[in-house]
Amino acid sequence: MGKMNKKRERLEVIYDFLKIIQDNHNSIKPTPLLRKSNLSSQSFSEYFEELLSKELIKEMKNGKGRKYITLTDKGFRYLEKYKYILGFIDEFEL
Amino acid sequence: MPINPMFNPTVFASETIYTLVILIFCMLVYFKTKEIYDLSKHKGIQFFRYAFLFFGLAYASRIILYVMIFSESISFEPIRRGKTIFMQLLPVSNLVVAYLSTLAILYLIYSTIWKKMDIEHFLIVSNIVALFVAVVAFVSRSPSIISIIQLVLLVVLIIFSTKKKEKDKKKTHARALYILIAIFWLLNLLVLNPVRRLPLQVLLFFQIASIGVFVAIYYKVHKWVK
Repeated sequence: MGKMNKKRERLEVIYDFLKIIQDNHNSIKPTPLLRKSNLSSQSFSEYFEELLSKELIKEMKNGKGRKYITLTDKGFRYLEKYKYILGFIDEFEL
Repeated sequence: MPINPMFNPTVFASETIYTLVILIFCMLVYFKTKEIYDLSKHKGIQFFRYAFLFFGLAYASRIILYVMIFSESISFEPIRRGKTIFMQLLPVSNLVVAYLSTLAILYLIYSTIWKKMDIEHFLIVSNIVALFVAVVAFVSRSPSIISIIQLVLLVVLIIFSTKKKEKDKKKTHARALYILIAIFWLLNLLVLNPVRRLPLQVLLFFQIASIGVFVAIYYKVHKWVK
């Protein structure tokens, strides 16, 4: 996983965000996710809310009542299709 | 059925088939790109999809306009009787064609320049422009007016698009295909003028070339969206 920086495009940030979750056996708590994403708290919250609203991730609670984040089927599809989406955007100069 | 020599059934058949083929390819592009848009919510993909949706609808409404214009030259009694209604509806049909096609052209060009020129509320702005062109078409009752306005619009947008083009981006010929789509559309409107009728061979060549551009676009889409 490459380091996140501000110049990355939105789609790439989302990809990295989702990839962190997937690489953690599809279950990660918000604090380590924030740390690994290397985003500011504000950017993290914005992306987090966006991905929740787009149903790419979902928040769950374990037996101890602690929150953790997992990918939805749509989230897995995004990871799967990411390269094609980028290819499509390049192909059509969008 | 007695047919006036001005009405050519072969041309009508080729126009109908041509419209259907274009409509099918436009809808294929629109629906095939649904998933990648749903996943990414990418603005460029959004306007690219809208462009093909509206081009498809514009072609479909154009064939209705075509029937209306050339119904004048049909001596078939039921159509002749309905001619008065057709002629009353002609400006409305003109309005619809102008509105849909202007939106299609605006969306296509904007899909390639939105990163450099992110216009807030572009949907509203584009609809106002399209409505303006549609009203002019409605008042003038001439498809040629639509093509002249759209040609001016297209030239302005191409100049702007070329200026804003990112130099480091790899060349994919996509823009050339977009320009061809728009040019073929404008020629399609000019063909609607009964005075400027093209010989059948020229018309067929032009239709095949136009379909070729849409097939090329669809092929590129299919390559990435399987």
